[in-house]
Amino acid sequence: MGHYSFYISTLVVYFGIDLLSAWSLNLQYGYTGVINFAYVVFQATGAYVAGVVVLGSDTGAGSYQHYILGAHLPFPVPLLAATFAGALLSGVIGLFAVRRIRRDYQAAVMLILSLILLQLVQSDTAIFNGQDGITAIPHPLQSALGLSLSTYQWVYALWVLAICAVVYVVVQKLCRSSWGRSLRAIRDQEDAAASLGLNGTKLRLEVLIIGGAIAGLSGGLLVEYIGAWSPGAWGYAETFVIFTAVLVGGVGNNRAMLLGTLIVPIIVLEVPSFLPTIVYPGLIDAIEWIIVGLGWMGFLLVRPRGLIPERRFHAPRRLSSAVDRVGLLGVIAPVTANVGAPVDATAPAAGARAERGREEE
Amino acid sequence: MNILIQTIGFGIVSASIIAVGAMGFTIQFGLTNVLNLSFGGVMTVSAFIIYLTEQQAGINVWLGLLLAGVGAAALTVFLGKTVFKVYARRGTHLFEMVMVTLGLSLVIEYAVDAISRDQVYSISFDQGASYHIGAVTLSESQIIIVGIGIVVFLALEGLLHLTRLGKALRAMAVDPGLARSCGIPTNRIVNATWLISGFLCGVAGVIYVINSLSVSYTTGMLFLPSVIAAAILGGVGSPRGAILAALLLGLVTQLVAAAGLSAYSSMAAFGVLVIVLLARPSGVLSAAARKVELTL
Repeated sequence: MGHYSFYISTLVVYFGIDLLSAWSLNLQYGYTGVINFAYVVFQATGAYVAGVVVLGSDTGAGSYQHYILGAHLPFPVPLLAATFAGALLSGVIGLFAVRRIRRDYQAAVMLILSLILLQLVQSDTAIFNGQDGITAIPHPLQSALGLSLSTYQWVYALWVLAICAVVYVVVQKLCRSSWGRSLRAIRDQEDAAASLGLNGTKLRLEVLIIGGAIAGLSGGLLVEYIGAWSPGAWGYAETFVIFTAVLVGGVGNNRAMLLGTLIVPIIVLEVPSFLPTIVYPGLIDAIEWIIVGLGWMGFLLVRPRGLIPERRFHAPRRLSSAVDRVGLLGVIAPVTANVGAPVDATAPAAGARAERGREEE
Repeated sequence: MNILIQTIGFGIVSASIIAVGAMGFTIQFGLTNVLNLSFGGVMTVSAFIIYLTEQQAGINVWLGLLLAGVGAAALTVFLGKTVFKVYARRGTHLFEMVMVTLGLSLVIEYAVDAISRDQVYSISFDQGASYHIGAVTLSESQIIIVGIGIVVFLALEGLLHLTRLGKALRAMAVDPGLARSCGIPTNRIVNATWLISGFLCGVAGVIYVINSLSVSYTTGMLFLPSVIAAAILGGVGSPRGAILAALLLGLVTQLVAAAGLSAYSSMAAFGVLVIVLLARPSGVLSAAARKVELTL
């Protein structure tokens, strides 16, 4: 029983952390169309920062690891530091990465960044202890609460789920606000949205920063749970897992992230760890990655909007009934109302996307 | 001073390696508008072909190079005609296409990982005698690499500007619809592009591992950033731009490494790319500003 309890609580923690990541990427890709192939970099930033600010000054446990920013900070501060670090790095990178350049260039620049920063941290051992990474990060509050490890596992799982609930409420509120509507407007028709005074670059930057904050938070939660972090944990393929979860669940639908996260990181990647080694160690991992890659390509081909796609946005009743009476949705609404709300009304002109059936109920 | 000149010599060697890949990448990107991240995966395959032929089977290195190039070309044409074409028919957007190519890259990479048993293989390659050219000392294989870079560049320029195929390629890169209505067999031209791009990709993968002396399933992804950076920096579809950008990146990388900051050398190359994106974004402007469609 003990083993299963441990395993299941671990899965719950991973599920919560991947869910946070999926919401972050969904906000960026699903709502705004930013293809952030460097997602895992921001998660790693949060993880490293949360780690080094509890490990104490440079020497670490037994002075075998070297890193910057060493400190001894009490419990909730490392998580806040991780969140802030993720947001800060996103802001810096966003200054050049989300300008008005072609989206495929954006994606390529992000991917290059992810690959190069990994090489940098691997080869400069003074930043975060290079290839070996940082270890011996204590579980927060375990001794203060006086819990056994098996109980602590479940307490931590609940803590992660509670954070998920908070983040969900925040993200959902953001996405339904007029700000969220302007995100979808610049995603679907940047020119039309710009003509209404929306600044696409600024919105993309804001989304990158908010997503980066969530990424940093998720990294902090992860490192406090597993107690170690090294370059092996943040290859570019890790971004891919979360991206696949978004694609499978439903692009632009925060609730569908539950489904996507359950299927991709948990069922496809975690459950096979039960299987015995076949042929040589590592073969199952490779096969898992191939399955993820094929799943990703398959969904892009067959259901690029996911299993439960974004639902069509309905204008508030007051506005829509007024428009019904006037009957000039596409003409009057964008002009009369403030930015955001009625921009979806330009959807009929949105061309390709609408043709592909995104707007259907 | 001698160290500086020597560093420039090494910079030219790494520039030649990057340039061959970047020219293959850019010519295909310019024509089809697919930002093909699976280029890295194909490079890994070609690196393993040279490992298996030259290192294991003992085949002559030039023949191995040819086999790797042909293998990579065949794989690229196959992917272009099957995978990419299917997505293009479905009306996949440009930005979704880049996601498709990354997925493909992951699949190829981990297929290679599964076949290569998750190991890193070292390549023992006789670098040949050392030659002194002024203050620069280069090994025979390094000189050959530079030679390959120059030959590929001249051949590509000749192809683009002196042959009918090249004329058709340039016409299609500008306006595929108009090219088609002028009677250019666009389908065949696209095939030719996949073929050329794949061959160069294979050659680049081979000279990369001959220089770095090891091969594993991550090889392509280690090399890909420089290739894409050079292609974007040089302007899409321009071999001349690609070779200039490769020179710049190669020199910056080697100079930073020579200054004792080798951990930061690829970061410096990325910095150059960022500066260009900020200062001169022509050619990288949003698709809305410049009408771009998939040509497959």
